Amino acid sequence: MDLFLQQVVSGISIGAIYSLLAVGYALVYSVYNFTNWAFDAFMAFGAFMAFYAISSFFLPFWVAAIISILLAIGMAVSTEKLAYRSLRLRKAPRLFMMISAMGANLAIVNLLNLFFGGQFRRFPVENIGTFSMGQVSVGRMDVLAGIISFGVLGLLWVFLYRTKPGLGIRASSIDILTASLMGINNDAVAFIIFAVTGVLSSVAGIFYGIKYAVYPTMGIVTIKAMIASIVGGLGSLPAAVVGSMLLGILETLVAGYISSTYRDLFSFLFLVIILLFFPNGLMGKSSDEKL
Amino acid sequence: MRRYRMSFYIKLPGLVLALILLASSLLTGCQQEKVLKIGYLAEQTGVEAYIGQATIPALEDRIAEVNSKGGIGGYQLKLIVYDTRSEVTDAVTVTKRMMEQDKVVAVIGPSWSAAGIPIAEIANTNKIPVVATTASNVNVTVNEAGQLNPYMFRVCFIDPYQGYALADFAYNKLGKRKVAFLTDIASPYTVGVHKFFKDHFVELGGEVVAEEGYQTGDTEFRAQLAKIKDSGADLLVAAAYTYKDAGLIGQQMEALGLKITVMGADGWFVDDLLAMAGPQLEGAYLTTGVSTESPEFADFNAAFEKKHGVKANIYTYYGLDALYAIEYAIDKAIKDTGSPDPTAIKNALENMKDVQLFTSKVTMEPDTHNPHNKPLLIVKITNSKWEIQETFQPQ
Repeated sequence: MDLFLQQVVSGISIGAIYSLLAVGYALVYSVYNFTNWAFDAFMAFGAFMAFYAISSFFLPFWVAAIISILLAIGMAVSTEKLAYRSLRLRKAPRLFMMISAMGANLAIVNLLNLFFGGQFRRFPVENIGTFSMGQVSVGRMDVLAGIISFGVLGLLWVFLYRTKPGLGIRASSIDILTASLMGINNDAVAFIIFAVTGVLSSVAGIFYGIKYAVYPTMGIVTIKAMIASIVGGLGSLPAAVVGSMLLGILETLVAGYISSTYRDLFSFLFLVIILLFFPNGLMGKSSDEKL
Repeated sequence: MRRYRMSFYIKLPGLVLALILLASSLLTGCQQEKVLKIGYLAEQTGVEAYIGQATIPALEDRIAEVNSKGGIGGYQLKLIVYDTRSEVTDAVTVTKRMMEQDKVVAVIGPSWSAAGIPIAEIANTNKIPVVATTASNVNVTVNEAGQLNPYMFRVCFIDPYQGYALADFAYNKLGKRKVAFLTDIASPYTVGVHKFFKDHFVELGGEVVAEEGYQTGDTEFRAQLAKIKDSGADLLVAAAYTYKDAGLIGQQMEALGLKITVMGADGWFVDDLLAMAGPQLEGAYLTTGVSTESPEFADFNAAFEKKHGVKANIYTYYGLDALYAIEYAIDKAIKDTGSPDPTAIKNALENMKDVQLFTSKVTMEPDTHNPHNKPLLIVKITNSKWEIQETFQPQ
């Protein structure tokens, strides 16, 4: 039983990080119907910025985190401007946006590699240790990461459902053309959405960096978050969180009880089965209300 | 008219080329100085750039030293260096170029097995010996069918050997009896160390209580580590190929409160690991063929760094070992047959006995082309530093 609880606790802490990333995918997808492949580069970028703010400029963690978030917002918004906006304005097929996103991703990751080098760095924060509940040990940083992740997601929910710009984004997610006819500024919507993805990716990058290590290709994990958001129901924020938690817990339980070697094989097989029965994902709605 | 002009332009480059070839053959004919070319397959760019960058200056220094003493048997040596960009395809291309165009008599490198295996074919075809530096997969010198690649040699030990030595040390010196494995199933290196450790450990009387796996690139190991904690193991063997895995395993063991001895192999031996997870891996053991911390290299390291502004690393030593072996073989070939023919050099390499190379004395096994009983160091991480525990000398 202790082993089982330990695995579930580990699974939740992984799921919390997937959630931040999955929501980032879901948000962009819900409005623009394309997958923002550059997302994982934003995540690595955010982690690197926080890493150097602390290790080179000796800033306290919270200041470094805020700087990293601001820089990641800048990176996300400028990627949108450079790589997506002109395509969007010229009504390019969505596939081209995805290719453009992949290009941006490769460019950013390789620039990080060029400027900072490919070695694996430990995130320079003090280890705040673990606490035990019976035989189950829980990392304090994992708890903090979980609380902050869900705090950020809660704020995002309030923003989307309780504010006017949020209403605009939700309207755009239902029908972007009609929304713009109703006087919603498309470019402003794009700005806000990408700024939010900058925040999410930076927070995820920092916690992922603390939990594991900081390196240019660290964003590769976002592929799992994307899968989680599809299984939850692509384009829906709560579904992305549910999908992420499910994937995180599933992975650790499979590794713990079936086979650690074939963890991905079994977990993804399970996800394929879910999709067979719920083709729009567990909580996916067809298209009327996506956020 | 048009047709005539076209054919003229097609012929023109051929004509120029023929003239250049003629001129160059005349020029080399005039040249009376006897020169032997030795190739070096260097990682100058790409992810493994630190290997070539720290090896080329050492090889050049050594060759200058040999030449200043009159060369070998009246021949001056010349180093031909090409960049492999840390890519197998480039390594293969430049090996061909060295052998077919530059007419080298021997090649130093490659440093990794994935390149060593295809290069064996080229070496065998051209009948030019290659001395691999750190390519430790068995199939670099002996192919899958168990046949010797006659022109391939190496100066490092092979993977099975590390597993054997670690198992011996764990059972006899550390008194460990219950082992758990955490293995990258996509890495032949890690799988190899796991298998040979297990074989010998069980043979000695030890017990395997857990065998967990992961895939290259994974960062999350807590599910596996929780199982290992539950299994009651007193030793964890995680011979990760990349030090990132070792660092993460150390960090996550700490998070789970798992406090058992950890062992890795020479893939861990990168200074960055100590910065990444030194405190978490305190007390862990690993292997290496040679250590930059060994006192006998202190003078060399200091002089090298002062002269070139680069720190010598273990690849520097292996590169020099390969060069020393080739120097010995050229000398022997000239003495035995009167000419530095690549096949004679290959025969001399094959029959090396107790020849002092840069790091140690080496005897080549004629049937495998691996160094016989090359000593292996067992290193312990102590106060975030490498501390040599003992030199393992196989019997």
